[in-house]
Amino acid sequence: MSALIDDYLAGLRRRLPAPIAEEAAAGLLDTYEHHLTSNAGDQEAARAALAEFGDLAMVASEFTRQAPGRRAARLLLATGPVAGSCWAAALIGGRAWTWPVPATARLAFGAVLLLAILALLVAATSQHSYQRTRLAMLASPVILALDVTAVAAAWLTAPALTWALGAAVAVSLGRIAFTAWTLPRLAAR
Amino acid sequence: MRADAQVLKGHLDTLLLASLENGPRHGYAVKEALRAGSDARFDLPTGTIYPALRRLEAAGLVKGTWAEAGGRRRRIYELTPAGLRRLAGDRAAWRDFASAVSAILEPAR
Repeated sequence: MSALIDDYLAGLRRRLPAPIAEEAAAGLLDTYEHHLTSNAGDQEAARAALAEFGDLAMVASEFTRQAPGRRAARLLLATGPVAGSCWAAALIGGRAWTWPVPATARLAFGAVLLLAILALLVAATSQHSYQRTRLAMLASPVILALDVTAVAAAWLTAPALTWALGAAVAVSLGRIAFTAWTLPRLAAR
Repeated sequence: MRADAQVLKGHLDTLLLASLENGPRHGYAVKEALRAGSDARFDLPTGTIYPALRRLEAAGLVKGTWAEAGGRRRRIYELTPAGLRRLAGDRAAWRDFASAVSAILEPAR
């Protein structure tokens, strides 16, 4: 087989997850064989196949834009402002600074939340790197755990159930359901 | 993608669904069906067909399964019931649009 084709296949395997690279590789080999039957030389067929298949960077970018991790990260980030505002309203309205939650726990929660948001931002904006979209697989369970923690903390420490707190808990429960539903799909790709 | 690149991009999903209407196909066969069906006017880079099929799969419009064919493992795609419904809707919308444009561009004399 032509070295040109081998290089391209190696590039696909380097840049994309194994099942996706395998599917694209089968497509490239089909294209190559199609040209082998109609063209004279191996090199000529390889060049024609690569031209027809498309530039490696462009193909990898197309897969990256369709990556399930990128889509999940975008959805979670889109719900962030809603969840954030609901919780802010509930915590301010409920004078959360008077609740019996240790300062270190509050700080740790904030730091972990910030890191998870940063990881989601990297996954959601990745244009060329499929690997970066997989950060969503790390960040999603963290967001799930934070939502669970927030709901549990409110349940255990909030002195009274207000409308704002109820709305915040409802938004978090929705996100918990969404993340739990998405995670197995992210792991499968 | 040579001719009609931008127009084609807007209709790619529908064309991919239509290419699967007569039965399951793998990515390269989908690309060949589009090329043959359009008299080689729609000649997309083969490598872009696969991400588009993955997108349709994520949307639940097609279903992909691995199968051994021609001595090689390939992913074969078929329309789901939702994909069939989408194709019927897209086809009706296209007919409406095309007949409206034709009525303006080619008025009866």
